[in-house]
Amino acid sequence: MTAGTPAWATHATTSAALGALAAEGATGALSGERGIVYLSEGRVVHAESAFAPDLATLLTRSGAVAPDGWWEAVDEGGRHHRVGRGLVDSGRVTAGALEVCHLGALFDAAYFVLAHDTRPRRFRPGAVHWLGTVRSVPVDVVVRESRRRRALLERIWPDPGIDTAPLVRVADAGSGDLPLRRGRTLALVDGVRTAADIAAALACRTYHTLVELRRLAADGLVTAAQPAPARDRPGPGAAVWDDPDTALLRRLRDALEAL
Amino acid sequence: MTNLETSLKECLSSIDGATAAALVDYTSGMALGTLGGSKDFDLEVAAAGNTDVVRAKLRTMEHLGLKEEIEDILITLNSQYHLIRLLKGRGGNGLFLYLVLDSGRANLAMARHQLRRIESELEV
Repeated sequence: MTAGTPAWATHATTSAALGALAAEGATGALSGERGIVYLSEGRVVHAESAFAPDLATLLTRSGAVAPDGWWEAVDEGGRHHRVGRGLVDSGRVTAGALEVCHLGALFDAAYFVLAHDTRPRRFRPGAVHWLGTVRSVPVDVVVRESRRRRALLERIWPDPGIDTAPLVRVADAGSGDLPLRRGRTLALVDGVRTAADIAAALACRTYHTLVELRRLAADGLVTAAQPAPARDRPGPGAAVWDDPDTALLRRLRDALEAL
Repeated sequence: MTNLETSLKECLSSIDGATAAALVDYTSGMALGTLGGSKDFDLEVAAAGNTDVVRAKLRTMEHLGLKEEIEDILITLNSQYHLIRLLKGRGGNGLFLYLVLDSGRANLAMARHQLRRIESELEV
């Protein structure tokens, strides 16, 4: 390690940087191209990506926690990074259900961060997520699981564009007699919604939604909308979605409220 | 307060004959939590393998055009029962509880009943 260059920055991929941070027992937030992974003492405690609905969406859209209840918990606990604990202590959700939901959101977001395994953007040492620690997972488990998911999705239908682009139904393709969940997923494909939007609308985990969408794509019923998002030639008016640092925005809001 | 670990512990302590338990995501095959097992009985392997059982049954039901949900799957071995119980809550979509029981000591009807109660603690 050269002086001034932290070990994580010498790695060419987010997964390798995470490995280095885990070996150091680091605490903080590593931003990749498609999201952020939060570490506490070298273990993954949370992950966020604009391509996967977050825990709030999963809990409130499923009806498990009323939106008001969620925001009350955020207001009460956000500043002290105790939102998760607060949700449980106030009886809004059982600890087990929160852990299951949290792990779902964590692995969903981590899949996106690590599927696009480019050089990480930055690491904010000491950054703590406002949710607080619900459960922690070793870095190698998260990296391994993300790779396995990518391979499973590849096997169903090898077009990663399905994961992120707006999706359209293929004209003239009869939908036949689809299994319940796949039918519900197909019904939400409208040329505008992305996989994340569909997962949020179903209050369903993103990875499960991706599996159904890739199957629909393999069956010739769904395809990524053309032209592909303006990634290649961002012209005037073309919004290139840069994933917002939601944790930073929330910390800002918390800080402003604390004034 | 029941978290994932205590739910699994409850499976082993309150269900007669239970020797191992796991909560498994059957879309990916990953075990979210495991308890019990031994060097002769690798729960991670069991979790991944039983994922294939659940998927195969779901696929068969698709082919048959059955629009029902699986409640549980029971596998009877010479000396063990393996009970797979699919979680129903919307947030629990795609998860199953996997329970290994010693068939000499287990009361299957009671085990099912108790598993339902433990399951409700994990459902959103």
